[in-house]
Parts: sequence; C-alpha cells; structure tokens
Amino acid sequence: MSLEKLLENPRVWRGSSQVGARAGLASGYPKLDRCLPGGGWPFDALTEILIDQYGIGELRLLMPALAQLSREETQTHCSGSAESAEPGWIAWVAPPFQPYAPALQQCGIDLSRVLIVRPKDDSELLWSAEQALSSGTCAAVLLWPVTLDDQASRRLQLAAEKGHSWAIAFRPLSARQQPSAAALRLELQSTRQGTRVHILKSRGGRPAVLDSLL
Amino acid sequence: MARAWKSPVVARDNAPTPTAKQQSLPFAEPASLTGPLPPAKISLTPTAVTRLWFCIWLPNLPLEACRSSEAALAIVEEQHGIHRVLQADSVASAAGIMPGQSSNAALALLPTLTLEERSLVREQQVLERLATWLERFSSFVSIAGKDVLLLEIAGSLRLFGGLPHLRKTVSKGLRAQGFSAAMAIAPTPLAATWLARADRRVCIRAQENLGPVLRKLPLGCLDWPAGQRESLIAMGISSLGDCLRLPRDGFARRFGTERLLEIDRALGRLPDPRDSWRAPERFCADYEMTEEQSECALLLHICQELLLSHEQFLLARQLGTQRLYFSFFHLKSAATELQLGSAIADRSQKRWFDLLKIRFEALRLPEPVIAVRLRSGLSQPLQVDNAHLCFHAEGGKQQRRYSIAQLAERLAARIGEQSVSAISMVAEHRPEYAWKLQNPLSDWASNTLTTKSCVKRPLWMLPEPALLPADSGYPLYKGSRLTLLDGPERLETGWWDEQNISRDYYMAADGAGLRLWVFRNRQRTPNWYLHGIFG
Repeated sequence: MSLEKLLENPRVWRGSSQVGARAGLASGYPKLDRCLPGGGWPFDALTEILIDQYGIGELRLLMPALAQLSREETQTHCSGSAESAEPGWIAWVAPPFQPYAPALQQCGIDLSRVLIVRPKDDSELLWSAEQALSSGTCAAVLLWPVTLDDQASRRLQLAAEKGHSWAIAFRPLSARQQPSAAALRLELQSTRQGTRVHILKSRGGRPAVLDSLL
Repeated sequence: MARAWKSPVVARDNAPTPTAKQQSLPFAEPASLTGPLPPAKISLTPTAVTRLWFCIWLPNLPLEACRSSEAALAIVEEQHGIHRVLQADSVASAAGIMPGQSSNAALALLPTLTLEERSLVREQQVLERLATWLERFSSFVSIAGKDVLLLEIAGSLRLFGGLPHLRKTVSKGLRAQGFSAAMAIAPTPLAATWLARADRRVCIRAQENLGPVLRKLPLGCLDWPAGQRESLIAMGISSLGDCLRLPRDGFARRFGTERLLEIDRALGRLPDPRDSWRAPERFCADYEMTEEQSECALLLHICQELLLSHEQFLLARQLGTQRLYFSFFHLKSAATELQLGSAIADRSQKRWFDLLKIRFEALRLPEPVIAVRLRSGLSQPLQVDNAHLCFHAEGGKQQRRYSIAQLAERLAARIGEQSVSAISMVAEHRPEYAWKLQNPLSDWASNTLTTKSCVKRPLWMLPEPALLPADSGYPLYKGSRLTLLDGPERLETGWWDEQNISRDYYMAADGAGLRLWVFRNRQRTPNWYLHGIFG
C-alpha cells in the first residue's frame, strides 16, 4: 500500500489540511504570520492572549490587524453576504484602563466605529461579548474577563463563528493550565530585548516561540 | 347650508344697516319660526363648501362601556336616593328586568343578576377611544354630548368608495368592537344627531330635503329638558313640524332663545361650529387586572398587548419613539418604573418587546402587580430605510442579525445606559481632555477631527495620574528605577478654566521592558506621575 493511498483514507486526520479553506487576517508582523496557519490571525474564532501584566505590548500586537478591520469592509470577510457594505465595529468589553482615543487614531483606527462596554460583573461581560460577537456588526470584540471557564470560551467561539467576528480574550498567565476552546492561544512575556510571543495552541498549526517580536 | 343662506344673504347685503333696536331684539318679528331670519349682528360670508355630517349615536353605551363578562348584567344609577336600573342586557331583560326598576326589585326577579354602577368617566374614555378610532375615516371628528360622535365626511367619500361603503365600514367596525349604534347623515350636525336619536336610518345630502324630514321628527329625540317637552305636548305640539309653525318671539319668550337657535342651527340657517377631537400625541395606556399578579409570563403578555396598541397608535400617525416608560403598580408599595431606550425612533412591537424581555430578566418586583401603565416618550418622525432586495440564495442566511444601533440598545437595556459608550476626539492639548465618551443612544460619533500631533501617545490611559515615588530625581515603578527614553514634551496650557497644567512628559521603560508614559509636574513641588501605558 503506497503512502498516497493510505492518506486518502478518510480516517486519517492531518492537522495541516484543516486550514486553507480561508486565509487568516494579516497581523502586520510577517514573522508571526509565517507561524500562523492561513498566514494570519484566525478570523471567525476566539483568540486568547495570556499576559502577566497589562501594557507589555498586547495591544501593539493587535493594532495593525484592528486598523485594517476598521478601515475595510466586513463584506470581504463574509463571502456571499448581500448586505453590510460598511466597515465593522470594534467593541472593547471591560478594558482595564481607558483606551486612549488619540493613540487609537494614531494607530489608524476609525474612532467612529469604536464601542466601549463596561459591564458590572463577569456574567454581564460574557453576555455583552456574546451579543456583540453574534450580532454580525462587530468585526472584532476585545474582552478582559476575570475568569473564563471552558464552557464560556466555547460559547464565545461559537458566537464568533455565528457572527463572523473575531473574539480576543485577554487572560492572566495562570490560565495557561486551563482547557480552552480558543482557536489560537498566545502567551506574551516582556523581556529586556522586547516582547516574546509563545504560540501555545494553534488550530491547524504548530506551537512556536518568537523572541523579541515587538 | 350654502343654499339656504343664498336668498336671505343677498337681500341682507343690499338692505340698509340694521338699526340698534333691531339688533337688540333679534326675534321681535311677528313671523313663524320658518320665516326669514332676523339680520345677523356680524356679516358672515357664506362659503360654497357643502358639509355632510355622519352621526353615530350609542344608545347602549352605559352597558357596553362596562367590560364585565357576566351573563346577566344591569347598569344602575342613583336617582333621588334610590338605585334604579338604567339599562339591562338581553339575559336580564328576558327575566323581566326593565329600566326604571329599583335594584332590589331587579334582584328579586333575578338573584344571579350583576349590578354595576354607571360610570360617566368610563363612558367618556370609551367615547374618546372610539373617536380616536374614527379619525381614520375623517379629519374632523367631534364628541357631542355623552353618547354621540360626529364625523364630517364630505371630504372622505371619495377615498372610502362612496357613502354606502363608508357607512358599512363604520358600522362593521363598531359591531366588531361590541357597540350597537344608530347612524344618520345630514348636512347639519344637529339634524344628523336628531335623526340618529329618532333612529331614522336616513341619509340626506341636500339642504332643501332636510326640512320635510325634520318636520316629522317627534319631540322625544330632541334632548330638550323633560319639563319643556311636557309643556309643548300639553299645548298640542308633538312634532318638530308643529314647533316650526309657532311665532318666533312667542316661542323664544316661552322656551328661551337657546331652543330657537337650536332649531335654526339644525335647519342650517345659522352656523354650527363644533370642536374637533384630537387624539393625544403621546401614548398612555393602562391595563388593570382584576387581581394581583406576580407571574412574569403573564406580566410580559400584558406588556406585549400594551406594546401592540402602542404600535397601532404610532402607526396611525407615522411616528416612532425613542423612549418608553413602563409603570408597574402595586397595592402597597410605590410603583416600579422601567424605562426603555432605543437608538433610533421605532414603533415596532417586536423590537420593543425584545428590549423589554432583556430588562425584565433583571427586574425585581417588590410585590405582586395590580396594574401596568405604558407611556411613550416624545414622538418623532420615523426614520425609514429602503429595504434590500436580496437576490442571493444564501444572502438571507448570512445577513446581519441587527445593526449596531440595535446592539447598543440591547446592551444598554441590560447593563445600563452609562455602561455603553462611543469615544470621540476633542481639540485639546491637555491629554485628559483630548477625548470624550459619547452616549451611543443619542447620537453616533461623527469623528472628523484628526490629530496633527506626531508625538506618540499611549494606548492605555489611567483614569487619574498616579503619583510615582522618586529616587534622586528619577521615578520608580514597582521598585525599579525607570529609564527615560524619549522626551521631554512640554505641555503648559489650560489657564482659562482653572485646570492649568504645566508638565514635562517622557516615555520611560522599566527593567522588564514595559513602556510607560510619565510626567514631571513643573510646579513648586516637582513630582513624578504615571499617566499611561503604551500597551
């Protein structure tokens, strides 16, 4: 039995063949793009970013992609949609500090499409994030939950698929041991040389470590 | 009216100005009631517009206004200290209960009879509701007295496909709402009322045909005081025709000029202006329950019914609203208020109900509810968008479920309006004032302002600048000394509003590579502050 014949068997699962149906969203960092399946951020999915403290570059990592989303039309991401000829919104759910408008504008984000939501507790946070993701109007939803269990992450993942939106959850490093339904999990650590990005989990890709990316 | 005016008016216009004596005694002429009118005090120019009045008389209004679902029902009214039956429904009438019986006699005849006190307030509310409903047939609806509605329909005939069709539509609608009505159509409002009261189902369109029909009317339908009617009958006068043969001055002396003027108005010889009913512009409706309820599903159902009537109310006016106020009344404690907001003016019951359901989940009612009230906020013209023509087969599947405005109002309904905001720029040098939050429900930001500053700003801003400890002139952050990478950028402004600042901003890095935005206060005691993180 030749190798090709063996691979044709539907019971054989190959990780790399999972992706390819859709291209990722270019992150603006070519080194990172090369490590991600689809050549960029996985759209229609949940991305988890684990950080030990705020401000080590987690926003800088996302800004090029978010700026691109806020400028272009969501239609390019929702193929076949007859509607939505306008750019998507970016929702910030429970940010730890105030996102500073002049800096966002410097990064190229259209401020008239930024929605800031400040829920009172975690259940409201998850509800708001799910609503925003499944509404189909938000291109990206950034959220800062206190806790996010397995079930909640699955709900977010499903909502992102339903609304063709990109969910980004920021979590502490301690969440590393918890299971998660996220399509992509990154760990960020600040070093003297710059921020190190560690790809912990990538659906259809491989784990990788990128030193001093930022 | 116009035709009747013609001959006397021409004569009057040519006649010399009436003398003062004639003016003070307008009915002094020895002529019968149908004779020429005395000269008018004010010269009125008759218009050529023909009017047609549609009168709806609701003889059983006291009974029909009562919403009780009892089988045998009688409405009682207090007359000279005794409760007497005013009206009885078919079941009660079959048992021999007649109007005018005392309530005790009626109960003796039928022990299962339900007696209900007459409520004029309730009847008036029903009349107003009907008048609002009738506004769809005419732009001029008037409530005349306590059981009569008048419509001016000359202008509506064409739209509603002629008189017979209009008449049929109105009577069908009234029957569907559970009202029995007598209807008549005449060129003057009073004539139409009298004809309806006499239950003459006639339609008189021309002024000259009015006289012969009115003459045959019995005095009973005139709604005159009983004493006057009796003395007229004692004089041998039983119909309006008999009345019209009497001399004007004698009639006026005996029965008052008011009666005389009434006859003139009915015949169209005097103008008869009426008040036009205008339905209120804001919706307000109550739902009263027979007993206290605390079940959520039932309350939601009641709210849905209120929302449905609210939608119909706004639909008739082509309006929408951005705010709705619900009040849930309790027997003992104060009413629970619930306010709903929408980003765009809307009236759709479905959309409001969705918002209400979100709010209802979090609502805690202190007590069972006895009544619910819905009030609408300021009405606005609807913002209507063109609907999309969807040619793609799978287009419907991937369509947006709702717009950003709807998302914002859903979020605001659940977590509070102040928790959902948009941001925009402000032309200001002071970093803390260079931006502002906006209410997404009132207006979406139209950010045309762009910064010219090429100096880098941090993505994260602290709510308040945090004081940093210092070591020999250098700031410390979490115990480690910061290295200043970039700066200073001096900001010295704000003298006009007492929020004067004078700061040197630096970009600083800590040992772990964190980029911070710090400043030194250039005042008497220089201190280091952390203001932002570059993220």
